[in-house]
Amino acid sequence: MNARIRGIFEDAGVRGWMHAISLDDPEARVELDADVVVPLASVYKLPLLAGFSRLVDLGELDPREQVTLEPSSRTAGPTGLSMFADPVTVSLRDLALSMATVSDNAAADALLDIVGLRRLAGILESFGLRRTWVRRGTAANLRDLQRRTGADNADAALAVLADNDRTDPVGVYEAASGSAASARDLTLLLRRLWAGELLSAEQTEFVKATMHRQIFLQRVASGFPHDGVRIAGKTGTFGALRHEAAVVTLPDGAAFAIAILTLAARGDFRQPRVEAAIGEAARVAVDVLR
Amino acid sequence: MITERHLQIFIALAEEQHFGDAARAVGITQPPLSQGLRRLEALVGAKLFERGAGGVALTPAGVALLPYARRALTSIEELHQAAIARDPEGPEIRLGLAPEVPPSAGAAVAAACGSVIPGSRVTVVTAPTSSLVNQVGTGRLTLAAVLHPAVLDGLEAGPVSLLPTWALVPAATVGTEVVALRQLKGLPIAVRPRAEAPAARDLFLDTLALHRPDGGTVVVTDERAGLAMAAAGQAIVVTADPALIAPGVGRHRLADDPLPLRLRLVWSRTRTPFLRPNDVMAQLTEALAS
Repeated sequence: MNARIRGIFEDAGVRGWMHAISLDDPEARVELDADVVVPLASVYKLPLLAGFSRLVDLGELDPREQVTLEPSSRTAGPTGLSMFADPVTVSLRDLALSMATVSDNAAADALLDIVGLRRLAGILESFGLRRTWVRRGTAANLRDLQRRTGADNADAALAVLADNDRTDPVGVYEAASGSAASARDLTLLLRRLWAGELLSAEQTEFVKATMHRQIFLQRVASGFPHDGVRIAGKTGTFGALRHEAAVVTLPDGAAFAIAILTLAARGDFRQPRVEAAIGEAARVAVDVLR
Repeated sequence: MITERHLQIFIALAEEQHFGDAARAVGITQPPLSQGLRRLEALVGAKLFERGAGGVALTPAGVALLPYARRALTSIEELHQAAIARDPEGPEIRLGLAPEVPPSAGAAVAAACGSVIPGSRVTVVTAPTSSLVNQVGTGRLTLAAVLHPAVLDGLEAGPVSLLPTWALVPAATVGTEVVALRQLKGLPIAVRPRAEAPAARDLFLDTLALHRPDGGTVVVTDERAGLAMAAAGQAIVVTADPALIAPGVGRHRLADDPLPLRLRLVWSRTRTPFLRPNDVMAQLTEALAS
């Protein structure tokens, strides 16, 4: 099995880390270097979503509370509130929704500020996650990249990573400095969320429903060209990193938690072969586990 | 007892001012780096670094002791070099070359190995990039010149060298000395098998398809076969070898050099202590690109 998964990653020109389990039988699994801690890119928004929901359960945050985000202090990004020109007033639960469904950087950083790194770390520990660290959000990630590349803005810094003729600056993909997790820990989080072990019924439903509404279909979902198969996922993209952590539910109700983390050899922004390889690896894993 | 590793950690942290970067520079992970620092601080009886907001900074004691650490580490490195120079066998350098490396460039790297590392014995093999990366990872090779981009998985790698390429075209196909890629119509371009280096090959083919939508490619085993097909009027060869030529084949520069040969030296940090001094790799990289 590992040889087959390895072959898919090699063919796509990526280093891959993977863990997949059946939610009905967590002993049934497919794994490839599943304990290696990898920088998460936007997959950190998944533990943040779970942490936010936990604080709602504890009564520490009111999901309907409104906050106003000013354009000057919002994190840049290609989607959601990051793109807007004017101040936006939005509830905390809608911030979480935008963060998780379209990977909205501005919403995620605003929510991370409210949840707090320290408070989130405590929650993740209480969830039993031993190899998951949310150490910073997207804005801090981009600042670190700018420092390492010497570029004066985020777009220029990302362009350095995308250039196949240049060497990546040292430490850009270093797990230790940014938010990071192992593939095994990500599937543990998904399994416990889906089992309702971490949150109230209401918040469990909020997390599941939100993740089912993610709009990106080119990775895990691309391996399942059937509308009867439901995918609840969170992708992550930064430089050459391409990830997704998802729960795949088949028409008969059998469900599987899958985390696929990859680092591509090429730097290009657009890498359709890598997206497809993530879908193919997910499909192979589900076919083995079902 | 203060060890070489303690000195490396002290100096790397002073230079990088960042735990993740320093760990990378020493070639270890962050936990042993922190542990080593604590041990060193206990041994010298002083705190050497303060953790600040943006990273770590030397304390006054750290500033005072740093020059002594530098001198001690330099002495140890000189001891290593002297020991290598005295060894009648000398270190064995097993160099791997990807088949795309022009013979003259491969010869220059091998010659540079001999002169930069005194007393070394150099052996050379040619193998596809994927095989070379594997062999360097397992220690069967000391270093290799491979295609970029490639999945390197933890290996150390030098900067990307760009070598210009020429099109070898059946005589009388094109008149001018410099041709645009899109002018090379009608004949397939000879390429080596994709599995040898999927990421680099896909980048080549994607670039080719952007500039030259038709004409296709033909898979050949090596440049010898490609050149023979060009002579027979059946294919076009793109090569970085400045000396490759045959009767009946014209050499043309490609306008704007759209298909440069991207090469990188790779080696394993843990297996090659004598490659550590930074200028050794710089000189070998220079030999590759000259």
